[in-house]
Amino acid sequence: MKDLSHIRNFCIIAHIDHGKSTLADRLIELTGTVSKRDMQDQILDSMELEREKGITIKLAPTRLVYEQDGKEYVLNLIDTPGHVDFTYEVSRSLAACEGALLLVDASQGVEAQTLANTYLALDNNLETVPVINKIDLPSARVDEVKAEIEEVIGLDAHDCPCISAKDGTNVEDVLKAIIEKIPSPKGDDQKPLKGLIFDSHYDNFKGAICLIRVFDGTVKAGDKILMMQTGKQFEVTEVGIFVPNTKQVAQLSAGDVGYIAASIKTIADVKVGDTVTSAACPTEKALEGYKEVQPVVFCGIFTVDGAKYNDLKDALEKLKLNDASLKFSPEASAALGFGFRCGFLGLLHLEIITERLEREFDLEIITTAPSVSYHVFKTNGDMLEISNPSNLPAQVEIDRIEEPIVRTSIFTPPEYVGSIMELCQDKRGVYKDMQYLDKQRVQLTYILPLGEIIYDFFDSLKSRTKGYASFDYEFVGFQRADLVKVDLLLNGDKCDALSLIVHKDKAYTRGRELTERLKKIIPHQLFEVPIQACIGSKIIARETISALRKDVLAKCYGGDITRKRKLLEKQKEGKKRMRKIGSVEIPSEAFMSILRLDDDSNK
Amino acid sequence: MLLNLEAMKKDISIYVHIPFCERKCKYCAFNSFCATEHEKEEYIGLLCREIESRAKDVSQEYAVRTIYFGGGTPSVLSPQQFERVTSTIFECFDVYDNAEFTVEANPSSITPEKLEKWKQLRVNRLSIGIQTLKDKSLAQIGRLHSREMALEKLKLARKLFDNVSCDLIVGLEGQSGKQICGEAKELLSLGVKHISCYLLEVYPNTPLFHMISNGQFSPLSDEDVVATFNKLATYLQDAGMQRYEISNFAFPGYESRHNLNYWSRGEYLGFGISAHSFLHGKRTENAATVADYRDGKVTAETLSPREEDEEKIMLGLRCNLGFRLSDLKAIDLEKNPYFADYLGQGILRRSGGVVTLNPLFYHLSNTIISNLFG
Repeated sequence: MKDLSHIRNFCIIAHIDHGKSTLADRLIELTGTVSKRDMQDQILDSMELEREKGITIKLAPTRLVYEQDGKEYVLNLIDTPGHVDFTYEVSRSLAACEGALLLVDASQGVEAQTLANTYLALDNNLETVPVINKIDLPSARVDEVKAEIEEVIGLDAHDCPCISAKDGTNVEDVLKAIIEKIPSPKGDDQKPLKGLIFDSHYDNFKGAICLIRVFDGTVKAGDKILMMQTGKQFEVTEVGIFVPNTKQVAQLSAGDVGYIAASIKTIADVKVGDTVTSAACPTEKALEGYKEVQPVVFCGIFTVDGAKYNDLKDALEKLKLNDASLKFSPEASAALGFGFRCGFLGLLHLEIITERLEREFDLEIITTAPSVSYHVFKTNGDMLEISNPSNLPAQVEIDRIEEPIVRTSIFTPPEYVGSIMELCQDKRGVYKDMQYLDKQRVQLTYILPLGEIIYDFFDSLKSRTKGYASFDYEFVGFQRADLVKVDLLLNGDKCDALSLIVHKDKAYTRGRELTERLKKIIPHQLFEVPIQACIGSKIIARETISALRKDVLAKCYGGDITRKRKLLEKQKEGKKRMRKIGSVEIPSEAFMSILRLDDDSNK
Repeated sequence: MLLNLEAMKKDISIYVHIPFCERKCKYCAFNSFCATEHEKEEYIGLLCREIESRAKDVSQEYAVRTIYFGGGTPSVLSPQQFERVTSTIFECFDVYDNAEFTVEANPSSITPEKLEKWKQLRVNRLSIGIQTLKDKSLAQIGRLHSREMALEKLKLARKLFDNVSCDLIVGLEGQSGKQICGEAKELLSLGVKHISCYLLEVYPNTPLFHMISNGQFSPLSDEDVVATFNKLATYLQDAGMQRYEISNFAFPGYESRHNLNYWSRGEYLGFGISAHSFLHGKRTENAATVADYRDGKVTAETLSPREEDEEKIMLGLRCNLGFRLSDLKAIDLEKNPYFADYLGQGILRRSGGVVTLNPLFYHLSNTIISNLFG
C-alpha cells in the first residue's frame, strides 16, 4: 500500500478580502512552484474579471512541494471563492480535502463568511487551522481577534500562525501548521478506483476535464472509467496535476488531487459531485455527492440587436460549459423580443455573467430587473413557479403567493446595530437574534425575504455601516406574502420587461420611484408620453415626459445632400441602444437601472 | 429650338459658388471669406476654367434648366466679373430661354448698376438676405445693412425683378411671433413672392457661439423658436403662400425650381470651391480651399442602393413632394415599425403610393426621417 503520510490536501476559507488569494500567491512562491519571473498577483485567478474585481470565482487547485526535516511533502491547495454567491463551490472543495486554513483579517476579525465557511468545514469533518492575516496593518488587533476566534467559532487559536501574506511575514509558519495539524489522507491504492469530481471545465482540445480527488485506487491513461451517477463510461486519455498549470503525469493514486481527460464531448456528461470508478472493477459504494445547486436570482437577458439572438444563445452555452450553476431557457418578451430567462446563484454571479457576455463575446445586451422565483398557488389548485413577473397570472386566478425567505446573519460593529435593524425592518425582516461576540462585533440574525435582499440590500447595508458590516444568508424555505404585480405603462402600452412583483405595502412607493426614474431616463419623444405604474387596472403613479421641442436641419445649403444624410445616419446610429415599446423609445440601460434606485443612498 | 432641345437632351441645373463676403456674419459657419480684388479675379478665372473643362463632357448630353449663384455673397462681384462667369456658362452650355436664373444678394452690396447688369444677363430671380428688419438684431448678428437700407434695396430690386425672394431668420434675441409676422407683412407688401425662413443655428467656434457663452447674446429657447416659426408659417400661408419645403414659402408658381431639383434628386453641376455636383448617380464635392481647388481636387461618392433610398426619404419628406414607396429599392418601410406608427399617428401621410410628412411635424423631421432609415 502506498504511503500517504507526505500528502496534505487543504483549502483556504475566508471572508471576502481577508487575503486568501494573496496567501495562495505567497505559498506558491515560497515553495518555488512558479518561478519569480512567471509570478503575478492572484495567480490562481485566471479570469480577467477575477483579477479586476479582486475576487475568486472558479476553483483552482495547485500542487505545492515543501521540504521539512528532510522529508518532502506534497501539499495540494484548492483555492475557493469567498463570496456568498459561490458558497456551493466552497463546499465542493471542502469535500476534496482533509483540512482547511481559516484565514481571518487581523483588523476586521470574524465576519459573516468566516463563520459560514467554518460551519461548512466542520460539516465536512475537516481539521480547521486558524491563521491570522494582515498583522502588518496599523489597525491589527491580533489578541482580540484570537479571542474572537476562540469565543465565536470555538477553535483553539493561541498558537495559530499570525502572518502578513502581503509582505511575507511568518508565511513559513503556515506551511508548518499544514503539515503538523492537517491529517494526511487515508486511502488504499490497491482498492478499486474511487475519486470525487469536485469541478470540471471544458477544453477545446481535450474535451471536458474532470478535476478529481482520488480516495482509493489509481487511474492512468487507457483506463476505462465509469461515472457512477450518470452511468457513462469513458476511456481516459490523460491524467495530470496542477502546478498550477496542468502537467501530465503517469498516474493519479489514492490521496492525489489532479485531473482526468477522457474525450468527453459535452460537459453535461460530467456531473460535479459524481464518483469516478473503474469500469472493469467498480467500487462498491459511491461517495456522497453534492446537492444540485439551485439558482435563486433570475433575470431576462436580451440582445440590443434583436438579430443577435443566436449569438447570445451560443455565448450562454459556452459559459455554461464551465459554469454548471448557470441556468437559462428561451423567453419571449413583447418589448424586447427573443432572449433568455437566466438563473443565477446571486447578484454577483448575475453581474459576472452579464459582464462576461459583453466582454468575452462582444455582445450588447439588455438585462431586465432581477427577480426571485415565487410559488404561485392558483385557485384551481395548480402551483406555478414564477421567476418572470410578467408571467404572473391575473389577480383573480391567484389563491396565494409564497416567496423565498432566507436566514441572514449580519456582523457589525455595535454602533450600526440601530441602523441595520431599521434597514431589516424596512425590508420586511423578522428579528431572530442578537449576540455580542465581543466589544466590537455584534451578530444580528434576521429572517428576510430573498426578494428584498436582491433589491439594493447589500448597497444599503454598506452605506449605512460605512462598509464595516458583512452579511451572509442561507435559504430557509417559502413563506406566504401579500405580493402584487406592478406594471408600467408607457403611453398606455404595458411594457412587460418592466413589470415587478413587490409587497403590497411597498407598491405605491415603488411605483412612484419607478415612474420618476423612467422620466429621467427616457428621452423626449415626438409626443407627450405618460408613464404610469399600475396594479391590475388601477393607476398608482404617473409622470409625463414632455414632447421633443425641436429636431430639424433647417438650412438646405447648396446641393450638399451628403452631409445632411450622414448627420441623420449618425442620429440613427446613436439610437441603436434604444428599444421601441409601442411608440416609445427606451434606452436599453433603463431595464436594469430602474432597480438601482438611489432612494436609500441619501440617508 | 426649345422643343428640339427637350427631345435631345436631359435637364441639368448649375450652381456657382461665390465664397466672398464683405464681412462674415456672426453665425456663419459656411465656406466664405473676405477677399482682395486680386483674389477675386483669380477665382473668377478658375471658375471659368472649371466651367469650360467640365462642360466638354456634359454639354452634349444636358441642357440647363436653372442657374443659381450662391455664396457667400454673389452680389459682391463686380458687374464685369459677374458677366465673365455668366457668359462662360452661356457659351459652354445650352441654356433654355425660360431657365430660372437666381442670384443671391445682400442689401449692402446691391447697386442699381448691378441690378441692370443682372437683368441684362438673363437673371430673373433674386434671393435677398434680409434676415430681419430689426436694427438691433442686424447689428448683433453682424449684418452690414439696416432696416432702412434693406427696404430701400428691396424696392429697387423689385423695379426690375418680379420674382424676388427674401431670407428671414427665426430664433434671434427678443424675437416674437408678432414681430416676425410684421416683418413678413412689410416684405409681402413690397411684392416679395418667396420667403425662406431659417432657424438660427449656432455652430461651435462661430463668433455667435462665443457671444452666447459670454452672455452677450441670448437666442430664443427651442420652445419659443418652434412657436415663433409656427406663427410665421401660419401667417404666410394665410397670405396665400404655400409651404413647399420645411423652410420655404412661395406664392403658387414662384417656387424655386432650382431647389426643387435638388430635392427631387435631379442632376446638377456645382462650380467653385466646396460646390457639390450630382451627375450619373455620383455625388462629388469640389475642394474647400482655393489652393486645392486650383489643383482640381474633388471628392466623389457613389451611393449604395440603401443610401439612395435614404436620400429619397430625406429629401422627399422635407418638402411637399414626398417620396414614392415604389422608388425605394433597398429599404423596406413596411417592415419598419416606426413607419406604421407614424402613419397611424398622422405624422406621415400616404396617398397613391406617395408618402409625405405632415407639416405640423417639420420641426421634428430629423427624428422621424432617421427612424425611417433604420
